[in-house]
Amino acid sequence: MKLKLLGTAILSSAMAFGAAGLAQADDFPSKPLTLVVGFGAGGSTDIQARVLANVLEENLGQPVNVVNQPGAGGGVALARLANNADEGYTVVFGTSMTITFGPLSTETTYELDDFRYVAGVTLGQSAIVTGEDRAFGDTWEGLIEYARENPGTSYATQTALDRMIIEYIARQEGLDLRIVPTSGGAGMAPLILSGDVDFGYSGGTHSGYADSGEMPVLLSLAEDRLVAFPDAPTLPEAGYDINAAEIRVVMVPKDVPDDRVERLAEALEAATRDERFIEITEERILMPVTYIPEDEVTQTLRDQIEGYRTLLEELGGVPED
Amino acid sequence: MTDTPRKNFWSGLGVATVSVVLITWIIPTYGGSGFAFGLPPQLLATLGAWLMLACAAALSIVSFITLKRDGKPLIAFPEFGHFWHQTWPFLYVLAFIVLVDRFPLTWTAPFMIGALLLILGERRWHVVVLSSIIPAAGLYGLTAHLMRIGVV
Amino acid sequence: MIGFDAILSAFIAALHYESIAIIFGGVLLGYIVGVIPGLNRAVAIAIAIPLTFYMSAYAAIAFLIGLSKGTAAGSAVSAILLNTPGEPSSAATCLDGYPMAKNGKPRKALKVGLLASVIGDLLATLLLIAVVIPFASVALKFGPYELTAILVFALVFVAGMAGGSFLKGLAAGGMGIILGTVGLDPETGAARLTFGYAELMEGVPILPLVIGTLALAEMFAQLDEHRRNKGASVIKLGKSSEDSLSYREFKSTLPTIFKSTGVGAFVGALPGLGPTVGAFMAYGLAKRTAKDPDSFGKGNPNGIAAAESADNAVIPASYIPLFGLGIPGSVSAALLVGAFMIHGIQVGPLMLREHPEMLFTLFSGMIVASVLMLVVGWYGLRIFAKVTNVPPHIVIAIVIFLCLAGIQVQGYGTFGLATVFVFSIFGYFLKKFDYSFVTFLVAFIVTPMLEMNLRQSVILSGGDIGILLQRPIALAFVVFTALMVLHLAWTAYRRWLGDRLKARQS
Repeated sequence: MKLKLLGTAILSSAMAFGAAGLAQADDFPSKPLTLVVGFGAGGSTDIQARVLANVLEENLGQPVNVVNQPGAGGGVALARLANNADEGYTVVFGTSMTITFGPLSTETTYELDDFRYVAGVTLGQSAIVTGEDRAFGDTWEGLIEYARENPGTSYATQTALDRMIIEYIARQEGLDLRIVPTSGGAGMAPLILSGDVDFGYSGGTHSGYADSGEMPVLLSLAEDRLVAFPDAPTLPEAGYDINAAEIRVVMVPKDVPDDRVERLAEALEAATRDERFIEITEERILMPVTYIPEDEVTQTLRDQIEGYRTLLEELGGVPED
Repeated sequence: MTDTPRKNFWSGLGVATVSVVLITWIIPTYGGSGFAFGLPPQLLATLGAWLMLACAAALSIVSFITLKRDGKPLIAFPEFGHFWHQTWPFLYVLAFIVLVDRFPLTWTAPFMIGALLLILGERRWHVVVLSSIIPAAGLYGLTAHLMRIGVV
Repeated sequence: MIGFDAILSAFIAALHYESIAIIFGGVLLGYIVGVIPGLNRAVAIAIAIPLTFYMSAYAAIAFLIGLSKGTAAGSAVSAILLNTPGEPSSAATCLDGYPMAKNGKPRKALKVGLLASVIGDLLATLLLIAVVIPFASVALKFGPYELTAILVFALVFVAGMAGGSFLKGLAAGGMGIILGTVGLDPETGAARLTFGYAELMEGVPILPLVIGTLALAEMFAQLDEHRRNKGASVIKLGKSSEDSLSYREFKSTLPTIFKSTGVGAFVGALPGLGPTVGAFMAYGLAKRTAKDPDSFGKGNPNGIAAAESADNAVIPASYIPLFGLGIPGSVSAALLVGAFMIHGIQVGPLMLREHPEMLFTLFSGMIVASVLMLVVGWYGLRIFAKVTNVPPHIVIAIVIFLCLAGIQVQGYGTFGLATVFVFSIFGYFLKKFDYSFVTFLVAFIVTPMLEMNLRQSVILSGGDIGILLQRPIALAFVVFTALMVLHLAWTAYRRWLGDRLKARQS
């Protein structure tokens, strides 16, 4: 099967990488590592983490075990990472939103400076989506017009961040929306697909419907237009001054020794060039693979936090309806 | 109704007390706040506590009436020895947990299993040793080799 | 559409020697892990996933499916023999399984459990195959209004099941409701009753709760018992004739099995409810419709049959929204999505168009797995029933260790261990004072789902209750609930009158 050939190709290239790595006389890692995912099994973050773990194993020469610690949008995993004393053997793979918006919206025991951000490896593709056969069609302008004429249009929210964004938009456009809480993509999907809710936020679930067209994207929440849905405008293009771009990052506690962080960064960079990782991430999960080194990604996160803080102040605190 | 009205009376009283504490102090203080369009955050918890209170109080009252009607005493103290017998296993497990917080379970397990066996009267050394070592070894094999998460 | 021969050949592809061997390996591994008290499917998957990366897509998925079924069958063993559910859904099996084992009929209990699981599993798989294509979208008709109505109905239904003392059952239900609200409020994000613990933000973790309340509390009760009559087995091994399962007895549980499979399949097909709800609902239904409801909880084989067949039926049924709509309705389904995706297959409505052979081969693989589960379980229970020969004090010490180990291994940390401890106290209290664990657990599980759906319903309808008129399914369940409440009140009143009459006569 094609996959077996791919597997052999991966293995040999991995051995080449591995040999290069060994030449640096480093004994980290010398035992298995744990990759913690702050989301439930089967979700897009979890799947990416598992593929990443598999690829990292070949590079690092030690097993990488994936463990799920779901809760609070990734917050539980981070709260536990903050107390971790493993010195680099436990990393969290998560989304930037947990650390940029999380501490702003709830009281957390951690904050940005409690961790080091080894690298960003994929760009999130969150979006505002809707279902088929809607009265307003499948464009953002259509929705806005419809919502203006129909107060009580419903929106499915999953996180505090997307809730803040929609409140901002509603205020700017003068909309009166009914905001319905849902739990996760699997909670949002039935409501959108059945038409019980008009439109909503999707962190990654919509990629699964890219070919079937059952979940059209109205607005891209990433920095650029979405890979799989190039027709939908981005937030700035639609006239909203918000940067909600999500980056999937690998995080470690702040006191991990520099050489270990570097080793992990090396392995991650190799992973982002690994064919199998790229194929699955870009063609199955439909997220662009990238490599953003520590300094750059940390600065991006800091900037985002400032942006969110300003937005929150404009809106008058954490949204409550 | 079950056949131990005295037990019901006291347990009903206990549960009712707990629910009162919940309603008056714990839920309002720790129950979360914030205006919600759908349901206030504390609503369900408060409803649950009232349900507890209503049922437990009713239980107490009915048992009280039954006790009085049958002329049985309200209070019958169990001997202290009996109380101790019921409590020490909890202390044992608590001690176990405190140990596991500091040392990996795989290393403390043989000692704890062995200790319990000795407390329960097992005097055959080979049994004590085997029963302590084998589960711990199994755990080691599971975590270090099969699941590869290191020593747990 | 693809032709019939294509379907047939895809089906037969699964009957390859190689594929059967892989599925067998999965079932066996799952079974062994499931049997060990405290360990469950999550642990088995952690062991197995690295292996699956090197397999072909079909093999990996077939292995995982075998693994799921194996752990389900194995969990029933530890639930029945030691009152230690490996997963929350096995908790319902403990209710009648353990008493039956204690009464000297462990083999019978194990056999009923196994047969019920396999039948439930097979029937639900057949249902999945028949129904997934045309009817997946039926699941979409069950929106927040319907789910709210169904969950309220479930709660009331189970409340009435409380057997012994109605009041104590309700009080336990109240406790379950309160604990069910622990966690982050879905709407405001406010932390409720978490006392600052990050671990509680997602709610009280259910596995430590269940292990503490059932298994550890039972071990404490056993210690008490052991002191009183040293030398008696934890489980008495009865005479073989009493302990084996006669064909007639088996036949008598069949109606229960069928009904419970139906309940389990229904619950499974609605995304989000899960096998635990299914198992307890089926148990509740079986108890209420039985001729001798008071024998439930004391070792009635129908109790075991109901719990096990429903619990197993939920899983294949939860693949209906998965394959039909792309929505994983249970943890097992979510794991399948992951495994598929890693091997390059997008799960969802397009699977039928783009990879139909894969789907049908998978279905036949599932059936093979069910059959293998029966084989492995049948021989397995002969081996494991021998556990009953081990002297009780050794069993107790090791089971206590395993309860803690199981939690520790799954990464709950010291907080998880503390949760087990706290709930063992709670479970001991429930046991000693005869409060209903079932109402507590169902209330605990249902409350968060109910709250979420109720919130959504209220917001979507703008508070307008007239919306019910447009949602016939929801309306129907509301009516059922009202009828049930009346029925309960009537039965309770009649019983109270009866007790009064008896008291006057004595």
